Amino acid sequence: MDRFARARRRALFETLLLLAAAVAGLLVFPIVSDASPAAGSTAPDFALKATDGRNLRLSEYRGDVVVLAFWASWCGPCRDTLAQLNALPAAAGDQGPVVLGVNLEGDDARAVSVAQALGLDFPTLLDSRQSVGRLYDVDRLPLTLLLDRDGVVRGAWSQQSVSGEEIARQIEELNL
Amino acid sequence: MSSSINWRAVRTRWHVCAGALLVCGGLLLAGRGHAADPAQDLRSVDQDVQALKKQLVDLNRDLFRLEEELLYPASTQVAVFLSLDVGTFFALDSVTLKVDDKEVANYLYTEREVQALHRGGVQKLFLGNLKAGEHELVAFFTGKGPHDRDYRRGTTLTFDKTIGAKYLELRISDRQAALQPEFVVRQWE
Repeated sequence: MDRFARARRRALFETLLLLAAAVAGLLVFPIVSDASPAAGSTAPDFALKATDGRNLRLSEYRGDVVVLAFWASWCGPCRDTLAQLNALPAAAGDQGPVVLGVNLEGDDARAVSVAQALGLDFPTLLDSRQSVGRLYDVDRLPLTLLLDRDGVVRGAWSQQSVSGEEIARQIEELNL
Repeated sequence: MSSSINWRAVRTRWHVCAGALLVCGGLLLAGRGHAADPAQDLRSVDQDVQALKKQLVDLNRDLFRLEEELLYPASTQVAVFLSLDVGTFFALDSVTLKVDDKEVANYLYTEREVQALHRGGVQKLFLGNLKAGEHELVAFFTGKGPHDRDYRRGTTLTFDKTIGAKYLELRISDRQAALQPEFVVRQWE
């Protein structure tokens, strides 16, 4: 009888442990899956119109290290990040990454005006319908993604401005 | 004192000996082969790798075909292609495709993609499933027309989806007489 009671207790304990693990998983998932796409996954392809009228497709930059910066004019840290990224290709020389800014606010005229005011040298893509924002599950700005030459996400900075030095260091560390 | 033979121990020793012999034999053969002609060995390995790569490509192709056959069976399959003939009067920017008043594709063309179309490329713009019967396809072309003016044109085709797969082609060509672009939808027989 004693043995059966012990087995029941053990089964109950294991069931409770499993339930606790499941609850913990459910609670942690939104935090872990916050920056989408996750590091190590391939960045989804998209095509958007740039402020200069050209259409640019992400997959056409395979073979280059790409920094993808999602931004909006009302986001203060976004402006800091954009200013940092603007100096990045010049500082890194020929081997520097390609920087692409993706504006998510849906007001193209405002995006163009802010890009001009900041003197951005890299293309600013207009995601007027926020289709790319949804594709990348952007819910916090700024979001900066570092993609390797195969289009795989190797670094992500969400809800914080990132310095050009940090990105350059990451590129060097990962030997991209 | 017992004189009976421990068969289990004998079997284990026999297995160990046989295994050791096999390993030694394998190593000797490998060593002889290696010593015989290293260059030939390298060539052989290279050929094996190439053959393996080819098998992988074939397998990938077969899997792709299988996936298409499963997801889009011929009885319901409809594919829409886009091609460009000359296109001097129209610089393509984007195409929006609607089937039965529902948007199924919205494609933005980059400079490289337009160049590929100019070189004779044909793009598969849409692949989907439709039940048998009458359907309406509407395509809107956006770009720059003659004199660099913004240009947006639509073209419509009502087609009958039968049992077999249906292939439709959107073709952009030049109407030299009117110095205007022409947008045509046609069905592949």
